[in-house]
Amino acid sequence: MLGAFANAFRTPDLRRKLLFVMLIVVIFRFGSQVPAPGVNVGNVQACFAQIENDGLYGLINLFSGGALLQLTVFALGIMPYITASIILQLLVVVIPRLEALKKEGQAGQTKITQYTRYLTLALAVLQATGIVALARSRQLLQGCPDPLLYNEDSLTTMVVMVITMTAGTAVIMWLGELITDRGIGNGMSILIFTQVVATFPSALWQVKVSRGWWVFALVMAIGLVLVAAVIFMEQGQRRIPVQYARRMVGRKMFGGSSTYIPLKVNQAGIIPVIFASSLLYLPAMAVQFAGQSRSAWADFLNTYLVSGDHPLYMAVYFGLIIFFTYFYVAITFNPQEVADNMKKYGGFIPGIRAGKPTEEYLNYVLSRITLPGSLYLGLISLVPLVALVLVNANQNFPFGGTSILIMVGVALDTVKQIESQLQQRNYEGFLR
Amino acid sequence: MVITFTVLLILSSLLLILLVLLHKGRGGGLSDMFGGGVSSGLGGSSVAERNLDRITVGTALIWTACIIALGLLLKAGS
Repeated sequence: MLGAFANAFRTPDLRRKLLFVMLIVVIFRFGSQVPAPGVNVGNVQACFAQIENDGLYGLINLFSGGALLQLTVFALGIMPYITASIILQLLVVVIPRLEALKKEGQAGQTKITQYTRYLTLALAVLQATGIVALARSRQLLQGCPDPLLYNEDSLTTMVVMVITMTAGTAVIMWLGELITDRGIGNGMSILIFTQVVATFPSALWQVKVSRGWWVFALVMAIGLVLVAAVIFMEQGQRRIPVQYARRMVGRKMFGGSSTYIPLKVNQAGIIPVIFASSLLYLPAMAVQFAGQSRSAWADFLNTYLVSGDHPLYMAVYFGLIIFFTYFYVAITFNPQEVADNMKKYGGFIPGIRAGKPTEEYLNYVLSRITLPGSLYLGLISLVPLVALVLVNANQNFPFGGTSILIMVGVALDTVKQIESQLQQRNYEGFLR
Repeated sequence: MVITFTVLLILSSLLLILLVLLHKGRGGGLSDMFGGGVSSGLGGSSVAERNLDRITVGTALIWTACIIALGLLLKAGS
C-alpha cells in the first residue's frame, strides 16, 4: 500500500499531476479564507462562533466548507455549478433540442457544458445578490445583531461584493476544469471533496469538546463501520455475462471472447443525495427570506420541513432519494442502446436472444438491482438525522450521510484513476 | 485610494469572468462528476489556449491583489 504511494511519486508524469492537484487545492482553500472586500471580519467571526451549532446551515455550509457564512471571496463555492448541472440535466429530458444535442456525442456534449457554464455564472449573480442582501439586512447569521459589513447603506459596497463573488465562482469553475484537464480525477468532485474534508476535523473536535472522549471514540468507531459499509456497497456489482460470436473478416479471426456488463448496485452514485438535499434546502431558504414576519405557511414549513428531526422531513427525504435514484439511473443507463450495440457487434447474453428480449432482460435486472441501491442511499443519508434524535448531536454530525458518500465516492474514483495511470508502469496498485 | 482599487477590482472581475468563459469547458458535467469512468482528454492545448491561460493567471493575480489591498484599506479606515 505505502509502496504504491512511493511508486506514484516516483513516476514523473504522475508526480507532476498529483503536485498540480495539490497546488490547486491550496489555492482553492486560500480563496475560501480571504474575506470579500467590505466585510467586517471581526464581527463575522464573533457571530460565527455563536451560531456554529445551528443545524439550519448544514448542507450549504458543508458544500462551501464554511466559506459561505464567513462571506469570503469563494463564498458560493461549487454550489452554483452543481445547481446549474442539475438544472441542465433535468432540462435535457424536457427540451427536445437539448436531447438532440446530447445524442450528437462529443460536440453536443461540449455545447451543453458551455451552457452549464453560462448558467453557473447567472446563478452565481443571483445567489451572491441574495447572500449580500441577507448580510446587509443582518439576517444571514440569525440572532446576531452586529453589522456584518462596514458600510451597510452604500450601494457600491454591495455591487463590488456581488461582482467579486461572481468572479470567485468563475475562478472556482476554472480551477475545477484545470484539475480535470491537467491533474487527476474530476476537478469539480475533488473540489467538493476538499470542502467536505475541510469541515471534518472541526466537526469531530466539536463532538469531543461537547461530549468527551467516550462519545468521540464511539463516533469514530461508527464512522469506520459506515465507511466500510459504503465502500462495500459502492464496489458491489452484478456482472451480466456477454458472449461475442467468433467471426472471420478476411483471414483474421475476431471476437470469440466472453466479457460482462457490470451493473453497479448503486449505479447513480451520490447524485440522488445531492439532488434531494438541494431540493429540501428550498423550504429552509424560503423560511429564511420570510424572516420575522411569520405567516401560516412559513410556520408550517418551519415545523415540518426545515428541522431535520421531524418524521415527515425524514420520510420526504427518503422518498426523494429513492425517486431520484431511479430517475438518474434511467437517464444514465439506456438498456435499449446497450442491447443495440451488443447486437451490432455480435454479442449476446447466453440464453437470451439478441435485440428486444435482451433489452427487456437488462431492464429487469437493472430495476431489481437499483432497489437495494436506492434503499442503501436513503438509509445512509438518514444516519445523521437519526443521530440527531438519538444522541442529540447537531446536524453537522461529522459522519453525516452526504459527507460520507461524497468522501468515499470521490476518493475511490480518484484512487482508481491514479491506479490506472500507475499500471502503465508497473502492476502493483492500491486496490487488490 | 479606496476608489482606485474598487474600480480596478470591478474591471479585473469582469475581465476574469470573460476570460474564464472563453476557455473551452472541460468539466464534462455532472454525469462525469461522480464515478464517470476514466476519460482523460489527451492532446495538448493549443498556443491560443496557453496564451489565454497566461492572461487569465495574470488577471487573477491582479484580482487577488486588489481584494487583499481593499480588505486592508477598509480595515484600516474604519
